[in-house]
Amino acid sequence: MKYPKEVHQIADDIRSMKIRGAGRIARAAAKALKIAAEKYEGPADVESFITYIDNVAKILLETRPTAVSLPNAVMYITSRLRRKRPVNVNEAILIVRKTADDFINYSLTATERIGLIGSRRILSGETILTHCNSTAALSVIIHAHRQGKDIKVYATETRPKYQGHITAKTLLAEGIDVTLIPDAAVRYIMKKIDKVIVGADTVAANGAVVNKIGTSNIALAAHEARVRVFVAAETYKFSPATVIGELVEIEERDPREIVDEKFLKENPNVIVRNPAFDVTPPEYIDAIITEEGLIPPQAAYLILIEKFGWVIQDYFISKYSLREEDEDWYQKS
Amino acid sequence: METKILVSKLVNDIVSWKIRSSTELVEETLNTLEYIIKDSKTLDSLALNVIYTINEVIKVRPTAAMLINCSRDILLELSNVVSNKPKLSEAKEILLGRIKRIKSRMASNIERIATIGANRIIPGDVIMTSAYSKTVMKILEKALEQGKKFEVFITESRPGDDGKIVASELSKLGLKVTLIVDSAMRHFMKYTTRVFLGAEAVAANGAVISKVGSSLMALIAHEARVRVFVAASILKFNYETVFGELVKIPQAPEETILPRKVKEKIGKNVKTEIPILDVIPPEYVDAIITEYGVIAPQAIPLLMRDLLKTWPLKAADVNGIMNSILEVLKSG
Repeated sequence: MKYPKEVHQIADDIRSMKIRGAGRIARAAAKALKIAAEKYEGPADVESFITYIDNVAKILLETRPTAVSLPNAVMYITSRLRRKRPVNVNEAILIVRKTADDFINYSLTATERIGLIGSRRILSGETILTHCNSTAALSVIIHAHRQGKDIKVYATETRPKYQGHITAKTLLAEGIDVTLIPDAAVRYIMKKIDKVIVGADTVAANGAVVNKIGTSNIALAAHEARVRVFVAAETYKFSPATVIGELVEIEERDPREIVDEKFLKENPNVIVRNPAFDVTPPEYIDAIITEEGLIPPQAAYLILIEKFGWVIQDYFISKYSLREEDEDWYQKS
Repeated sequence: METKILVSKLVNDIVSWKIRSSTELVEETLNTLEYIIKDSKTLDSLALNVIYTINEVIKVRPTAAMLINCSRDILLELSNVVSNKPKLSEAKEILLGRIKRIKSRMASNIERIATIGANRIIPGDVIMTSAYSKTVMKILEKALEQGKKFEVFITESRPGDDGKIVASELSKLGLKVTLIVDSAMRHFMKYTTRVFLGAEAVAANGAVISKVGSSLMALIAHEARVRVFVAASILKFNYETVFGELVKIPQAPEETILPRKVKEKIGKNVKTEIPILDVIPPEYVDAIITEYGVIAPQAIPLLMRDLLKTWPLKAADVNGIMNSILEVLKSG
């Protein structure tokens, strides 16, 4: 079966990190499903359409293993498609289009709401440390600045791909005082920091946060210095699969992001490992700022049941052969 | 003229991070001094050139304790020479002899530290290290010679990307070595059994001044209950801190992490803060490996007292010696 070229294009862009950031990845995936539905040319029965959408979902899911926003966005659409039991293909297409739009709008307003909620925790005169380039974390900082608070930001350069440069550029454009530091200097700088604000790629059931490699270094250094750590994360970054015990796979990327081809040729025996994420334990995080409000990381379970009850139920049914009626209490959303 | 060119090249190599290890920094300074002494035409110019060189190098790396301690030795010798006014050839011989003794002491120290440090490596160890430390590399080389099988994680160590050079050199020794970014320290600490770090200086309270990122690694190791060893000759003891002097951390030039072209893209108002060193508190260091054995960081002052047979420790101020030499020259 053939799939629209836009789907492959979006999948490629997610894989190559041309589309980066959990929120942008999620919205791109929703958009890809919407386009796929609109361009459906297969047989006019609902079964074939659902199989087609499932296959498109699979193409998208195979791009990046760690970011949970991707499967959550995809499941937001595919689960609703199934549960609404459309009677014909036109209705099915409409459901995919509508749920995709719903997801995209919801995701965009979520970032705004996180900015508003988080900015209330920032006081004028404070110095903030951020890592990598998180739209949600920047939303918090920018909202605080626009409220007239006098803030100063330290941004790590974030090796290997220097996302800190994008953060610096974005904040400078807002007129915010930004200083770039090497990732190795985070403990050195921590004495000058009042609050750490970072984003998240995935929040696990126990409140552990999977985010850009180096986040856990910063959280530990902040904990040591009694500096508060805030994680800005939309609820679609919470991982329902972790409730049933699944581990979050840490993606390891190409060594050439760290060293060049020449180095690899000249040093064939040097192993270069390039994990993209690390895991910050919940005890180093003071709060997770979601669009639904501020929660302690240990309350991640609350968000998961409220938002993904049915997904978790589906997991239990499909992976552990539990009966639907036994798992009724999960069905909230 | 000749001296100025030589010294500015040396200073440039230090600032541009061509000279990465603080031991190499001292070696290179001694080489330059040797050349300048041999080349001097009068006793006065010899003294002035030696003072000029030492002054310039200390100015760019005031934290390098071994540099200051070795400079003190040379300056004290120079002070004697200037007041005794021997023949030029004799003066050269005295000073070159002193430098030679310092060099051979440094070399034998590294050998001893390497032997002692290698004994702390156990077959199967996974060692993590950061930055370019000549002493740590010698320890690893020695352990390898002893036939021990172990592997090494080395962080990239920005600014300067020392880790790439360390990875390359260690792999050529036949060691299994994995290069990771600085940010991945905590991720890989789970698999690490021991941390080895070099030092720029050791302060009176046992705090270790080392390449930036070392204190982060020590903290992360501490959290994971991984032992941290610092390899440092007692020539790196910072006497000034005994009297409460704070160690001021030098900064690397902006281009080391932000090339001009990249800066233009981000915006000219972007600032940088690039410390080249940071301070490991003694509670995160399990032991310092010195040429006199393995010792708790807090016990370093005791070791110093036993070696120098005096307390409080006395060490003449380097600037003070330079000034008194200059006065003798002026009056003479």
